[in-house]
Amino acid sequence: MIWQFIKKQGLLLWRNPMQLLLVVGLPIVLITILGTALGGTMNGEPPKINLKVALIEHEDEEKQINRFIEDFSDELPPEMIESIQKGEEFRFIQTLKDTVFGHEDIKAFIDFQEMDLKDKDQILNDSTYTSVIEVPEHFTYEMLEGILTNQNNQPALLVLNNEGSQVGAKIVNDILVQYQDKIGLTNFLAANHLDPSILQSTEEMRFSETVSINQSQPVTSKEYYTVGMAVMNVLFVASTIGTFAFIERKIFVFNRIILANVTRWIYFSAVCLSGTLFSFFHLLIVFGFAWVFFDVSWANIPLFILVSSAFAISVGGIAALLTAISYRFKSEVVTSFFSSILVTIMAVLGGSFFPLGDSSVLLQTLGNFTPNGAGMSAYLAVLRGDELEAISGHLIFLVCFGFAAIAAAAVSFPKRGANI
Amino acid sequence: MLELINLSKKFKQVHAVENLNMFIEKGEIIGLLGPNGAGKSTAITMLSSLVEPSSGDVKFNGKSILKNPAQLRNIVGMVPQDIALYSDLTAEENLQFFGRIYKIKGVELKRKIDEVLKLIGLTDRRKDVVKKYSGGMKRRLNIGVALLHEPEFLIMDEPTVGIDPQSRNYILETVKRLNREKQITILYTSHYMEEVEFLCDRIYIMDQGNLIASGTKDEIKSILSAEKVISIKADNMNDAFIGSLKENPLVNRMVVSEKEVTIMAGKEVNIFSPLIKMAEDSQLDLHSLDIKTPTLEDVFLHLTGRALRD
Repeated sequence: MIWQFIKKQGLLLWRNPMQLLLVVGLPIVLITILGTALGGTMNGEPPKINLKVALIEHEDEEKQINRFIEDFSDELPPEMIESIQKGEEFRFIQTLKDTVFGHEDIKAFIDFQEMDLKDKDQILNDSTYTSVIEVPEHFTYEMLEGILTNQNNQPALLVLNNEGSQVGAKIVNDILVQYQDKIGLTNFLAANHLDPSILQSTEEMRFSETVSINQSQPVTSKEYYTVGMAVMNVLFVASTIGTFAFIERKIFVFNRIILANVTRWIYFSAVCLSGTLFSFFHLLIVFGFAWVFFDVSWANIPLFILVSSAFAISVGGIAALLTAISYRFKSEVVTSFFSSILVTIMAVLGGSFFPLGDSSVLLQTLGNFTPNGAGMSAYLAVLRGDELEAISGHLIFLVCFGFAAIAAAAVSFPKRGANI
Repeated sequence: MLELINLSKKFKQVHAVENLNMFIEKGEIIGLLGPNGAGKSTAITMLSSLVEPSSGDVKFNGKSILKNPAQLRNIVGMVPQDIALYSDLTAEENLQFFGRIYKIKGVELKRKIDEVLKLIGLTDRRKDVVKKYSGGMKRRLNIGVALLHEPEFLIMDEPTVGIDPQSRNYILETVKRLNREKQITILYTSHYMEEVEFLCDRIYIMDQGNLIASGTKDEIKSILSAEKVISIKADNMNDAFIGSLKENPLVNRMVVSEKEVTIMAGKEVNIFSPLIKMAEDSQLDLHSLDIKTPTLEDVFLHLTGRALRD
């Protein structure tokens, strides 16, 4: 008997393209738009940055060092002269080129190019460059003079940034500031006749590998928004079932059903089961689409089925509750309010539109007390590779929510003999 | 077969039906006549066990159905005033669904669907979705669904509202056939007195929640035995003439339409001469003066002072 109702609901949904589009088409469209638009923002890896930096020297550094040694050979101790001749730490621009911009990690995202002074105008007009570092005349000579003869007027590099690439320019500036700090330390060590090569260890530490403490798999934006849109839009299944049921009351089909000696509880159970089954299939269709087109796959299928089942029960409960209330008040206002306003609020609280990780604890807690929020948390946990224990709380909440909604609906549903 | 005893229904402060007493015998076609809002539909929902009455009882074969309606529901077919069908399903799918909820299955269901579709003349359109049907076809399917489980007692609530005369005649003939050939007892409600006159053996007339008359057609019409009904037609019906009629003590009741006034006067009273004089005084271009055979409409006018379709 109940199967006849479910079959009929399925046929009605199938013959109603607008409703079908809203329930199944909309999440697929939204997943496509959001997944494509937000591409790599949450793929669990560092964002892809491609910067282009040019360096223009006005004068050869080696020549400046030789000239400095000639000019100051009488004033500086021989060991210092020897150190300047051999030490990389006094070849500031060469170090910047080799050690900083030549480092493997930096090379991965910065295309560093040495250019001639004659190309300067051309480079400045080329918007593909993030920054142009200009080394003025006598830079190294004056740096050495400042460090070793205790003069305060040290020269400065001229950095020209592309206004259209502020984030990239900031990264280049940060690198240069770090390098400047290192030179400052070198100054200090040299001024105190200490060996500047001890700075090597600091540099190695800086570029050492970063190890994540959390070993879970990262969630990509496509995965996040697939889950977000699926858990939001499946709520429309509840309002659709509620609307179908209300129309049955409105056009007196419900009276026909009652006259066929079908009890209210069979009808009520059919509404509830339709909501649960259709929600479950809705989730399978949406996630199936995401699997085929966006490669959103589930490593732990049984856990995915378990979460989908629990979530479908809660949506079935909502469908029953909406039906019962609309029958009780003989009005579709509640169902309309649910589909037009409440779903959006629940979606925001549940994190369908943006991650709630940075929000207040209150919002996060409220989010987890919505069925879609709890469903989303459970799905994301499964995607991260968590096991059953980690999501059991969400599963229990979803099932309890579903049964609480069914109980509330049973109490609200008009009893036999009431005027429907 | 079925008895309604002092049946009343009150919605907040409104008495939709008050102390209604009716009986229906097996094989009869009973008419329940009354204007819109008379309480006919409320009475039907109570006697079909869909709504509990505020007071009174409904007895089926001597037993109250209020506590145990299942027995009555098994033999009742209901044709609601509204089109109670799934408009996105085909005629066949509608019949299949309602057949299955009546626990009819397989070959038997197929046979009954074929039979019903033939009876209502929709065999060729069985695969079409209902929303593509004309108003008359929807009405016919609305009846067909109620016949699927072969009910002994059919309740038809204004089944011809809003359809063309051809479909209306088809439905009325079908109702007659169902009663004649299958011995189905029928309760037919309408505010079209000609339908009730055509179909029904006995008639109940309701107004404002109360039963105001009951009996066979002749018994009801005999209420007007002391009065005659006169129809006055004129192209330029005017206020002066109507005012004169209202003031004339010989006119008991009257109903005014654009070009026609129907009046009731005592059977022994000679009212023609005064009528002609009033028409002359009012410069009325009198078209005709007819003495009508009383209809149920006239009875309703006599009893309530209003036309049935006011």
